[in-house]
Amino acid sequence: MPNLISSYVKFIDGITSIIGKVTMYLVFVMMFILVLSFVTRNIINFPLIWIIEMAQFTMTAYYLMGGAYSMMDDQHVRMDLVYGSLSEKNKAKMDLFTSSFLIFYLIILLLGSYSSLIYTIETNQKLFTAWAPYVWPIKCIMSMGILLMLLQSFSVFFKDLAKVRGLKI
Amino acid sequence: MFAQYLSYEAIAILMFSSMLLMLVTGQRVFGAIGFVASAAALLIWGTGGVEMPYTATWKLFKWYPMLTLPLFIYMGYMISESGIANDLYKMFHYYFGGTQGGLAMGTMGMMVAISAMNGLSVAGMAVGATIAIPEMLKRNYDKRMITGVVQAGSSLGILIPPSVVLVLYGMIARQPVSKLWLAGVIPGLMMASLFILYIYIRCKLQPELGPTLSKEERKISPLAKLKLLRAGIIPFLIFFSMTGLFVMGIASLVECSAVGALAATIAAYSKGRLNKKVIDNVLRKTLGVSCMFMWIILAALCFGAVFDGIGAGRAIENLFIERWNLSPWEVLIMMQLSYIIMGMFLDDTAMLVIVAPLYVPLIKILGFNPIWYGVLYTITCQIAYMTPPFGYNLFLMRAMAPKEITLLDIYKSIIPFVLVMLFGLILLMVFPQIALWLPDKVLG
Repeated sequence: MPNLISSYVKFIDGITSIIGKVTMYLVFVMMFILVLSFVTRNIINFPLIWIIEMAQFTMTAYYLMGGAYSMMDDQHVRMDLVYGSLSEKNKAKMDLFTSSFLIFYLIILLLGSYSSLIYTIETNQKLFTAWAPYVWPIKCIMSMGILLMLLQSFSVFFKDLAKVRGLKI
Repeated sequence: MFAQYLSYEAIAILMFSSMLLMLVTGQRVFGAIGFVASAAALLIWGTGGVEMPYTATWKLFKWYPMLTLPLFIYMGYMISESGIANDLYKMFHYYFGGTQGGLAMGTMGMMVAISAMNGLSVAGMAVGATIAIPEMLKRNYDKRMITGVVQAGSSLGILIPPSVVLVLYGMIARQPVSKLWLAGVIPGLMMASLFILYIYIRCKLQPELGPTLSKEERKISPLAKLKLLRAGIIPFLIFFSMTGLFVMGIASLVECSAVGALAATIAAYSKGRLNKKVIDNVLRKTLGVSCMFMWIILAALCFGAVFDGIGAGRAIENLFIERWNLSPWEVLIMMQLSYIIMGMFLDDTAMLVIVAPLYVPLIKILGFNPIWYGVLYTITCQIAYMTPPFGYNLFLMRAMAPKEITLLDIYKSIIPFVLVMLFGLILLMVFPQIALWLPDKVLG
């Protein structure tokens, strides 16, 4: 493959890998927050107002930032009634064709997240809860996760292309 | 926009069929659903539809109970790594090995114990494929029989509390999860008993399917045999620290899943199984499976929102009640049939998110109990997990089963178990009290 493409793939896969390996530890963060909530609410009777939102933020960051890594790892289920019986090369061909649909969806998702982020920053939006945290930090993270997912789908696309052409990345 | 020229019913049908077509191409399920949903949103509402896919992330954000999903997945993998299952298997080996088909029945017992610690079928599948199946193959058990046992048994994970499927249903149908979980207990145990009964009868008729173990293999001192019962202590503690605390109203739903996850981690630590490699492995798998589910739900939420926007719920209501003039029971049976058929082609998490908002209001109008319906739905889901071409358990089984088990074995193994499950489903439809008695008794 051309140098530019192979360095793109290596670069994006590298970033995806690093972010994925950090993101996977967020399970412990969720566990910590919720066990803390259990203890403060029931045992020392000192409920914390930021628990619910913090847990929600963590979960949202978890699956959006982790999305790209799970895609690189090929963890997303497919219906393999037809697909499963194809050869490796034909699978790659089929993916080349259908990943345009995937990319379409991710672009729409990204557009939505971008306009929502701009709105949030302009209006200094907060959540309507007792804690009332600013919304922009999580929206930034969400947009970044979706962007990374999109970049990773291009990387997967190029890897499929290389497979079809019999080239090395 | 071209959508003006189509009736809403036609759009709904078009969306559904293009989604099925997209799925058949083998694109990732979330991508297929997300594409159809976002394309439809743009076609129907023009540029106003651009934000719809993203809006779904905020709907998911507000679904606070969804936090249980990654935690239960984590817990499932932790339990299968922790060695709890090895002890359980050993216990059943010595206690049931002497009867025909005893190991298969014991495995079913182990699956019930694992289901009580886990809200999905992942843990059961992992443990079944790595521990139970190789052990039983070594002892000349029929491979189709045992593959079926593991598939059917692990599917109990979503019926016996805790259950992620019932959490998701509870959010969509706006029903209390505590009631739903309690409603799953007796049907789950009933289903397990039916499975065991089937294994018992089948092995009585065809003893070669499940040979008894020789005396040497079961030789153990009475004291050691008694000590084996300790294997049941940890599962019970985990069950209590999770479902127990939740049903008693001490811990909230998401808190109980975190406490359970912590308990599973401690159990693994106490057995000396916790090291860097195991943690890394568990975390990586948890991220993969959680993201898979979350992205499917995200895409399906967008699809559901478009469906809702064009009034598909009313259309189905009209079709079933006014146009076809079906009685309530006929509508119910139609729904279950449509689930089973759709479940063959569509991922069942997506199915729940897309179809349940259309069906649940109808269920309430027809005067059925939504809690009971949740349990019916879950059993249908279990069947969908196992029936080809699309099913999570099939998927996992193919990835994890030992080499001598072929795809054909996997497909054939489930037939008798699916029949047993259909029988259980009918029992539950005729006698709703099987599900409703326990929640009424406990929560009033």
